[in-house]
Amino acid sequence: MGQVLVLGLVYGVIYSLFAVGIVLVYRGSGTINFAQGEIGTFGLFVAWWFTTAHHLPWIIGAVAALVMAAALGAGFEWAIVSHMVEANRVSVAVATIGLLAFLVAFEVRFFEGGNIRKMVAPIRGTGWSVFGVVVSPTQILSLLAAGALAAGLALLLKKTDFGLGVLAAAQDPVAVRLVGIPLARVSAFVWGLGAAVSVLGALFIEPTIGVFTPGFASEMFIKGLAAAVVGGLTSLEGAFVGGLLIGFVEVGANRVFDFPGVKMFSILFVMLLVLLVKPDGLMEGFKFRRRALA
Amino acid sequence: MTEPLLAVEGLRAGFGATTVLHGVEFSVNEGEIAGIFGLNGAGKSVTMKVLAGVVPSRGGRITFAGQDITRLSAEKRVAAGMGHVPQGRQVFPDLTVAENLRLGAYLLRRKDKARAASLLDGVFDRFPVLAERRDQLAGTLSGGQQASLAVGRALVNEPRMIFVDEPSAGLAPLVVQELFATLKQVATSGVTMVLVEQNVSFGLQLADKAHILQMGRIVYSGEVGALDQQALAGYLGIGRMLGGVTSSALAGRRAPSPSPAINGSAAATSAEGEDRVPRSQRRRQARATSGS
Repeated sequence: MGQVLVLGLVYGVIYSLFAVGIVLVYRGSGTINFAQGEIGTFGLFVAWWFTTAHHLPWIIGAVAALVMAAALGAGFEWAIVSHMVEANRVSVAVATIGLLAFLVAFEVRFFEGGNIRKMVAPIRGTGWSVFGVVVSPTQILSLLAAGALAAGLALLLKKTDFGLGVLAAAQDPVAVRLVGIPLARVSAFVWGLGAAVSVLGALFIEPTIGVFTPGFASEMFIKGLAAAVVGGLTSLEGAFVGGLLIGFVEVGANRVFDFPGVKMFSILFVMLLVLLVKPDGLMEGFKFRRRALA
Repeated sequence: MTEPLLAVEGLRAGFGATTVLHGVEFSVNEGEIAGIFGLNGAGKSVTMKVLAGVVPSRGGRITFAGQDITRLSAEKRVAAGMGHVPQGRQVFPDLTVAENLRLGAYLLRRKDKARAASLLDGVFDRFPVLAERRDQLAGTLSGGQQASLAVGRALVNEPRMIFVDEPSAGLAPLVVQELFATLKQVATSGVTMVLVEQNVSFGLQLADKAHILQMGRIVYSGEVGALDQQALAGYLGIGRMLGGVTSSALAGRRAPSPSPAINGSAAATSAEGEDRVPRSQRRRQARATSGS
């Protein structure tokens, strides 16, 4: 049981990060960025190029990857998504699949992505044993980073005018422009932040998995998407809760049942269960309670 | 003669293959309340959206405060001094009243936080109900309270002109009366106003100038006082039904009789009008307006 909790937390936090990126973009533009996972992988290649190929410190590679991802996300929004305001949201989602294909091709061509790569960990060391599970310093760091991100996002969205504008844009994009908030900037920010959060997730999970190739973060993305849907797709709190739930269920199922593919089966099961019982996501009740209290 | 605050020349706009506005022309002087009237589908709301910058124009020119704003984004137009009370209120439902108002002052707060705070106090004085409910989510307010919030949200940015689109839609008659009084107050405090209103009797009591839209063109522009019933009947096709109310509106501009919005030719306003409306329809209208 203790092991399930520890491992579930370690993986769940990463799924939460991907889910947060998905929710941010969904709230900002009403669509899903299917390239988000691959942007995470792409960030790994960039970080690898700095750290392993050019022997620079981890932090430089990480910062470069985050900046690149933010620019890529915001740039894609500016160049493509902002011109599709009138378009069906499914068309926008399909456009992001185009970005995904492009990124895979780019990785294969310029980073010789056919070879298996290995990224260094941010902190070296053997780690600590918790309930019989060895928790690495990187895993501890990922928990701290996810907590800091959650706190930072909460502060940004509720305490700053720009953050409130981000929340408002999700509720009524036209009214946001009618009060003078630059919607284009809000939207580009959301896509950039969503992409950067994916890189953060990829950087933290890679040392646990060990190696990466093009398409590496796609599995994380799919689990992140499940987590986002479980959380209601529009709730950032829901994204965190959903990510942790998926993490616990996956690790727990793997422990109880012993057959290949049990993790994915269990995620499908949880997703269907939540969608059938609470179609608007786990957090929907909280929203109503908040309304009633207000 | 001083230049008008807003001048619209040859404005054309539409969606896809459909052209809705075929060269709309009118101007609004500082301190004036301009009412835009017309039947459903005449292009009133599209005109408002093009003026706001959320629907692109396909031709023509919009000049605001001496500046050509035809190509400016909606946000820049707000920065230039436009404020909006959009159709359906469009408050941010999952944000609190205070947060909605804070966003209303988004641009002003970047320049002058103290000024924004004092304007916010002004809004709370004008709408005590918003002060009482400042921590309540806007989506849980009644229709009338949301209308107050939408007006307040436009005023906290200290606009030179506000565009009010169908403020009475979906509100109970008593609430409409209250809103009417508020808008009148706002106008007398020196804010120029462009008003689109389907409830003609309500709109005419508020407006100084009337601009009548027909099939995407302005077919009448002039003082409301100079508008006779005959003309109104001719343009809007509703004169006979409106009878008493419009004549009182045109003559004395007294407080409006509570009256449901006019949809096309179905109008039930004066006592005379009511007799012509079947009982079942009146019940339907009553249900529709009491929901807010």
